[in-house]
Order: sequence, then structure tokens, then C-alpha cells
Amino acid sequence: MPDHADPVDPTRRRPLRLGICGPVGTGKSSLIALLCRELAGSLELAVVTNDIYTDEDARFLRSAGVLEVDRIRAVETGACPHTAIRDDITANLMAAEELEGTYPFLDVVMIESGGDNLTATFSPALVDAQVFVLDVAGGGDVARKGGPGIERADLLVVNKTDLAPYVGVDVVQMLADARSARDERPVVGLSRTDRDSIDQLTAWLADVLATHRAGTLVPVDPGPMAAHGDGVGHGHGHGHAGAHQH
Amino acid sequence: MHPDLLLMLLADARLPVAGHTQSGSLEPAVVRGLGAAEVPAYLRLRLRTVVTVDAGTAVVARALVDSHGAAAGLGVLDRAWAARTSSPALRDAARGQGRALLRLTERLWPQGPGATALRAVESPPRAVVLGALACDLGLPGPALARLVGYDDVQTVCAAALKLVPLDPAVVTGWVRDALPRIEEMAESVAGLSEPDQVPATGAPQIEVWAQAHAHTTRRLFRA
Ligand SMILES: Nc1nc2c(ncn2[C@@H]2O[C@H](COP(=O)(O)OP(=O)(O)OP(=O)(O)O)[C@@H](O)[C@H]2O)c(=O)[nH]1
Ligand SMILES: [Mg+2]
Repeated sequence: MPDHADPVDPTRRRPLRLGICGPVGTGKSSLIALLCRELAGSLELAVVTNDIYTDEDARFLRSAGVLEVDRIRAVETGACPHTAIRDDITANLMAAEELEGTYPFLDVVMIESGGDNLTATFSPALVDAQVFVLDVAGGGDVARKGGPGIERADLLVVNKTDLAPYVGVDVVQMLADARSARDERPVVGLSRTDRDSIDQLTAWLADVLATHRAGTLVPVDPGPMAAHGDGVGHGHGHGHAGAHQH
Repeated sequence: MHPDLLLMLLADARLPVAGHTQSGSLEPAVVRGLGAAEVPAYLRLRLRTVVTVDAGTAVVARALVDSHGAAAGLGVLDRAWAARTSSPALRDAARGQGRALLRLTERLWPQGPGATALRAVESPPRAVVLGALACDLGLPGPALARLVGYDDVQTVCAAALKLVPLDPAVVTGWVRDALPRIEEMAESVAGLSEPDQVPATGAPQIEVWAQAHAHTTRRLFRA
């Protein structure tokens, strides 16, 4: 079972580690900034960014002024953004642990992947839950095409729904495609200009955080591989993934 | 366990110690105009300077744990290394790499006297951690010194493939050609046993580049 316990005080759980991934420019940093703005009053937050050019994302977040500068740390990936969140997660783990050491009262550490492509997802050894971010500007078909993040991340966000009329995308259809690619897993159509969608996002996070605190959140690997098409694996691994180590 | 196998394990780029985040200061060197053709000379320069410091430090860490066990005073060695590594950026990067290797050591080999001795030092650099671990794993000093040299050459060459892409066989040729230099370097430090014997052979130019690199934005590599 994953070890969520704080090594110093085992009665206290370490913060939830939340991964944010998805293609370049879909709004990962904006989503983190949005969550910081929404939750800064109620939760203690910190952020680790991974960029191909190291600290673009960190600088964006620092300049957004939504979080104390020292709570935003950038990790270099040596031009290997996939490796850094998937097979050798050491640099990210160390950054998260350092933040957790400096700010022992943190509730959530968000980790932004270096914007890359549709197949990059986080190792469950690094994050407890992950959000995959698409946007309507990437085209209405992206959700239907699927991929590990789209199909099996804990939450799929279809961002910038306010742009739909300008890019000729039918949001209702795109969300329906996303839902059918994801079985029961949640989808939020998000826009920073749509209050209701922001509330859906924060409600999802509150839910995940509650599960994490209760010790019942089991990190799930969206996998780099396509799901088996035999139907047998449907819904499998959600909530009852097998052994993995921290 | 045959030491060769442990040596291979530690030399493998797949060891999860964030090796992919390091360029051996090649990135700042390239930014300042170092061309692909000069990389082999850069490798040799590093072997004669900063790598000699690190390899000497690792060998001494190994020797200290070998003679004093868990009571080995690695703090003195840590200071000797720091005094010979004048760029704070390089020291920070090396201590970061040390933490990464220490994480793995605590997970896989927490019992040895070297692992215990390391707990008394705050954030030791990679060379100290590697040397103490090498003692716990029964690696001989000369093999350890070769490992430090080989790892540096491969780190720079792997980063070269990202920064100045060329035929990987050419780059592997650079590694092969550097092997005798690694051996020379290893021989020069293999017999050291005391902190004050660690060679003081820093390379001011590399240290200046490394220092500037730490303050640039848009870098790919940590150091
Ligand atoms: N119209 C609209 N634009 C948005 C929304 N959210 C983000 N954007 C814009 O999308 C662009 C990219 O946003 P970022 O947050 O930088 O995207 P990212 O995924 O972090 O990008 P990379 O880190 O480079 O991969 C920016 O210009 C944002 O202002 C939204 O809800 N509506
Ligand atoms: Mg970003």
C-alpha cells in the first residue's frame, strides 16, 4: 500500500501530491494559478514545475502573484520531461519533499509536467492523483482520439470552453466524447470565465483531498500504453490498483 | 556479490538518481561558444581538474569508512571537498546529486557502516556519498575512481547529444578515446586516504560558467 503517512508524525498524512499534465499551452499553469487563487484562503499550497526550458512555468506562476515565491520550485529535466515524471522521478520527489520539509503544514503540492505531448503521464509513485488538461483550441477530435491521460487520468479537464465559438468546436459533443472515452471517470469543461466550471474543479479537488486524508486514495497509473480492447479491464485499477511502492 | 556487477549497477544511467538533469557544465560551456569539436578536449580538461577533485574525494570517503567504519568523520572530508570546489552553484548541484544517491542508499543499502556514517553529515556531495556506499558494497578504490571518471565522461557526452546533436557513434568514440585518460586520473587518486590529500585542482573557467548557469533562465540542465 502507498505510504501516505508523515515520517515524523505518522498520525499526520503528508500533503496530497497532485500532478497536472497535458499538451503544450492547454492551460496547466493557468489551472494551477486558478486553484491557488480559489483555495489560498482555505488550503496551504505549493507548486513544483517541470519545463523543457526550466523555469518558464515557475516564472509565470511567480509573476501571477498567487503564491509566495519560495513555494514555487522549478525542476530541470535535461530535456527529458517524460523521464522526470515517469521513470526517474527523483528530482521531482526531492523538490516535493523539500517543500514539505520547509512548509510542514502543506495540504497540497501540485506538480506541473513539462508541456510535451498526449502520451506523458505521471508515475503513481510521484503523485497521488493527476489531472490531464486539454483545450478546445486543440480541436474537437482530441478527446475522442484518446490516450492514457485522456482515458485514465483521475480528472480530465477540457479547458478554454469560452473559446469554443471562435475555434468552431462543439463543446457539448467534445465533453460527450471525453466521457465515453473515460467510463465513469470525471470530466470538467473549464473556463476561467465560467464560475460554475471552477466550482466543479474545486469540488473535485476537495473530494480527492478528503479521500487522501482518509487514507483510502490509491494512486492509479494511467499507463503509457493503450488499454486492452477486450472490455475485461474496464474500470479496473480504479480504486483497487495492485501493489505498488512508494 | 561480484564487485563488477555492483559497479555496473552504479555506472548505469538507468540508476534513478536524476542523472538526466546533469550536463557536467557542458550546457553553459556551449552557451559560451564551445563547439562540438571541442567536447573531447573538454572531457580531458574535466578529468584533469574537477573530476580529479571528485574522484579523490570519493576514494578518501571509501578509505575513511574502510578504516573507521560507522564512526568515520566524513564531515572533515566534506569541508575539504567544498574548499576545493569554489563555485557555490557546483557545490549545490553536487549536494543535490548526493541527496539523490543518498535516497537510493537509504532504500537499498541502509545497513552498512558507510550509510550510517553519512547520516552524520548534512547534505554531503555525491562524491562523499558514492565513496561511502562503495565501501559498503565492497568496491575497491581504483574501481571507484574509474567509476567517477567514467560517469562524468558519459554525463557530458549524453548532454552533448541533446545540446549539439550528432551521430551517437561519434560521441561513443569520444567516450572510448577518453578511457585511457580516465585510467590515468584514477591511478593518480586511487591510493589517497586522508582528506588533506584530496587534490586541489578546480577549473576556474568551468566554475565561472557553472556559476553563471545557475542564474540563467531557460536552462535544460541543473548543472
Ligand atoms: N480563453 C481562455 N484562455 C485560457 C484559459 N486558461 C488558460 N488560457 C490561456 O492559454 C494560454 C496557455 O496557458 P498556460 O497556462 O500557460 O498553458 P500551459 O499548459 O501551462 O502551457 P505550457 O506550460 O507551455 O505547456 C495562456 O495564454 C492562457 O492565458 C481559459 O480558460 N480561457
Ligand atoms: Mg505551463
